[in-house]
This record gives sequence, C-alpha cells and structure tokens, in this order.
Amino acid sequence: MFKKILSVLLFVSTLFAADATVEVVKKMDSLPKIAIQDATAQDVDKDLRIKFFKILVGDLKVSSHFRVVEDYLQSSYEGGPVENFLSDKKPDLILRFKLSKSLEAVFANIKLINAKTGETNSEKSYKIADGSRYPFLAHKISVDVNAHIGAPSIAWMEQFVIFAKYTQSKQSEIVLSDYTLSFQKTIVKGGLNIFPKWANKIQDSFYYTSYAGKDPSIYKVELKNGSRTKIVSGSGMLVCSDVSRDGKKLLLTMAPKDQADIYLYDLATKRADKITDYSGIDVSGSFVDNDKRIVFVSDRLGYPNIFAQNINSKNVEQMVYHGKNNNSCSAFDNYIVYSSREDKSEFGGGTFNLYLISTQTDYIRQLTSTGQNLFPRFATDPDTIMFIKNYKNESALGVIRLNANKTYHFPLKTGKIQSIDW
Amino acid sequence: MKNIVLMSVAVAMLVLTGCSQKSPEVDTTKSADTKVSSVSDSVGATPSVSDDGSSLARLIASLEANTKVIYFDFDKFNIRKDQQSSIEQDAVLFNSKEANNFSVKVEGNCDEWGTDEYNYALGLKRAKSVKDALAAQGVNAERLMVVSYGESNPTCTDKNKACWDKNRRAEFKILP
Repeated sequence: MFKKILSVLLFVSTLFAADATVEVVKKMDSLPKIAIQDATAQDVDKDLRIKFFKILVGDLKVSSHFRVVEDYLQSSYEGGPVENFLSDKKPDLILRFKLSKSLEAVFANIKLINAKTGETNSEKSYKIADGSRYPFLAHKISVDVNAHIGAPSIAWMEQFVIFAKYTQSKQSEIVLSDYTLSFQKTIVKGGLNIFPKWANKIQDSFYYTSYAGKDPSIYKVELKNGSRTKIVSGSGMLVCSDVSRDGKKLLLTMAPKDQADIYLYDLATKRADKITDYSGIDVSGSFVDNDKRIVFVSDRLGYPNIFAQNINSKNVEQMVYHGKNNNSCSAFDNYIVYSSREDKSEFGGGTFNLYLISTQTDYIRQLTSTGQNLFPRFATDPDTIMFIKNYKNESALGVIRLNANKTYHFPLKTGKIQSIDW
Repeated sequence: MKNIVLMSVAVAMLVLTGCSQKSPEVDTTKSADTKVSSVSDSVGATPSVSDDGSSLARLIASLEANTKVIYFDFDKFNIRKDQQSSIEQDAVLFNSKEANNFSVKVEGNCDEWGTDEYNYALGLKRAKSVKDALAAQGVNAERLMVVSYGESNPTCTDKNKACWDKNRRAEFKILP
C-alpha cells in the first residue's frame, strides 16, 4: 500500500523535477509517517541505544521520504496491541530495533510494522563485527527501510566519507567517517596530509598528497593493511583531483615548471599527459562524459570560473556565465554544481554559495544562502550533494537533497575540513 | 488473514562487508619520509659554514629572520609596488656572502577564503611571482624553489581583514 502511494507521489514529483535546477516543493503531508521504537534490553549501554535511535531518525529525515516521529519511544520486541499501533502518534509505519553486543560486535534485530494493521511487514537481523562502526549499521537499516517502501535509493548513506582536516599550521589529518561524522577514525596523521580521494568505487584504497618529503607526493594507501605506495612526486603543488571510473587513470594538478596545470596520469605506464595549457591557474579537474572530457576551474578570464575541455582537444568551453569567483565544481551527467563567491570584497560577509546548473538549460538554482559553502561533490546519484560548510567558527559536512530542497549540516568538533571525498 | 501478511522474516545476518577491514592507520611521523633527506647531502657544499650542525642551524635561522615577507592583495599574485623594496632587500640578502651557497625555498600562502585546491594554485602563483622577481634582481633562479601551502599555514587566525592581509604572503626557507 505504502509502496503504491509513494510510487505515485514520486512519479508525480519526477514529472516536475525532471530538471533538478527547478525547485519543487513537495507536499510533506503525503509522505508516510514513521515512528521508531527502541526494544533493546536495559543492560545494553543506554548511550549506544540513544545514539542509534538518533542516527535512524536523522537518516530517515535526510532521506526526505518519510515524516519522522522524533520522540524516543521504547517497547518490547514482541510488541502488543498498544505498541504495534501507537494510536496517539498516528504513524503509518513503526521501525522497531533491538540491539545486543558480543565482544566487539554489535547486532541489531529490526521489525517493520504496519501501524494501521499492527502486523509485521518485515523482520531482519544485522551484525557489524567492529562495534565502533555501529553508525553504518543504522545507515544500512535506514537504506533497507527506505527500499521497503519503494522510495528512490539512499544507498549513498552507506558510503564511507574520507576527509582531511587542518589541526594546526602545516598539520592536517585524514579521517574516515560516515556521512554524519558519528563514526570517525583517523587514518593518516603527522605533517601536512591533504586532498584524500577514493581510488575506486569499493573504497578499499585512497590517494592523498603528503608534504612530508622534499616535494609534495601523492601516495596510495590500502585500507586493508595500511600499506603506502608513492605514486608520483612533484615540486610546487600536487593534487589528485579525480579518478577514472575504471580506476586506471588520475586527473592530477601538477606544476613541474612552477605552473599549475591539469594532467592525465596513467597508473600503468606512469606517464602524465598535460591536458590544460594556460599560463594562469587550472585546477580541480573532474571527469565527465565517460571520462572523455573534463570540467575544471581556471582563471583564464581573469577570475576563477568553470570550464570544460575534451581530453584529446585543446578547445576550452566556458560552462558558467554567472558569478565572478567560481572556484570549485563537481559534475554529474548534465549537471554541474559549483561554489561562487557572492561579494567581490573579501570582508563583505564573505559568502560562498552553491549553485546548480544544467548544461541543457539556462536555469540556475541557488542551493545555499549563508556562510562559506565549498567543495561540492555529487553522490553516486544526482539527487545528493555533499559539501564543506564553514559558518562562523564551525566547519561542517553539508548534505543537500535536491528533490526535497533540503540541506543538512554535520559539524566537526575540532579542526577545519580541508577537502572531502565520498 | 495472517496468510496474506507479508511476513518476510529475512534473518539475513548482514555483515557490512569491507567495514571491518578499514582500520589501519598511517602515522607519517614514524615514516622515513618525514626526514629532510637533503640536509646531510649538501652540507659539504657550503665551505663558508662550519660543519657543526648547530652553527649551521643558527646561520640559517639568522638568515631567515632577516628575510622580508612579501604580501599580496586579495585573490592576486602580482608583486605590489609597495613590496618591491622588500624583494630588493631579499635579493641582496640571498646574494650575500653568507647566503649565496644556500638554496631558497619560496613558500606561497593564502588567506582562508575560497576552495583549497584553487588556493594552493594561487599560493604557487605567488611563490612563482616572487621567484621571478628575485631572479630579475640577479638571484640565480636555479637556487630558488617554490612550494604552495595554500591556507594551511596562517600566521594569524583572527577573523578580520588585517589578519587575512598578513596571511596572503610569500616567505622563505633557507636550505643547505
């Protein structure tokens, strides 16, 4: 029943949101209402239970496919006439979870209950071997609950985020996390370690720039055993901006002659071919069109802006005709999201906003309105964008859900986020 | 009625693959890469400097303390007119008898505004502008190296214009 209702709703919204640059405000009242019950035994750490509950609430809200009852509710796992209906809350669905621990592992049993009939629609058990990663257990449950009602996938919630954060002058760490920063583990520390970039879709290794040696170097780290391999070194600056879909080629910003340009680096042959050729700044290359073309940032018009170029051609196409300081971008199919400085003066509020354009239309959609919104990155679907938000003295991960027109922030407790990938 | 209930008791003992493997850390402070490998190689090439490491370090510290930091305008990398005298003083210092056997690393830095990859490139352009200006003043370009630290190396962390002005700079490291 919910599947049918939601399918109709999503079909209708898809009709109007075929162009993501057009805002569509959906009627939230039409979404299924879900309540979450904690059925965990009292001898399990209460802090874990509450955190787990909050992550589930957050995930389902961020999905934008539910109205979520935010009250912390407890019940027995078996349920009963009151617990299976929650008449005072009037939910459509009840997600009931029961946590348990064994050595390092955390287990979760869940039931999805139709609150109109009181009957269990689905029951599953989950386990995560390393209990410190329990947020991923919650995200997996949320992804499955979302799939159960037939809503568009939110599988991106299960992706690992990797980010660098400045800790002090010339010092930064590379941290592995979930998208809410509930789980964090420092992977690289000591010195200046920046621009981490996943090496492949399965996220078992990543590249990053280290300033530990005489010149900046890009290393590849295997997460399985922590082994590091030096890929390339170069004077001036060196950044791995993107990795091809097959993982065999990198887009590097290199400056072998003190001049930053974008190069295509073949991991097998160790050969770097220069793609852009301009005496100013060319950075932040991003593969598009099946890796045959790149989108990048250049100051070739006298200010930073977004351009595109075929890898085997020197013809450069200007992609954005708005703003006078567009200094970072990410592309997905026909969409480009970019960060633009709103005020030419450096102290007039200093706002950087994110904008979305389609290469097929002239419409521009503004996605943010306060603070510095930087380093946008599309998820594996074009409906979700992650970015860095600096506002006042806080540095946060931001997540934008385009169809729902909603933005969420997950602040970092210490340090300042330098760059992200997911 | 119960027969039509979708009772999919899918007890899928779901192990989140990959998660448990992502645990090792890389601590580069314990890595050989953190050592400046070029230091001992080139000490012999500086006859005017005592082989005593602390004496060499004192000389380098003294030279670095006498360099003039070069400041830049917002989002710019050209040498301002008011910075030209600092460039000239730095050129004289680097060509002095005490310093002319050393290499000089020009470090470009930025304020906190903007996206980091662009800022690293901007810092590099600043360092390159200083390198070219020093070369124009007679410093051998082969002694000059450039590197960008983007916004990672602020000298001032307050949130005001005067502070950001101080961070948009190129400064120098003397290398034996």
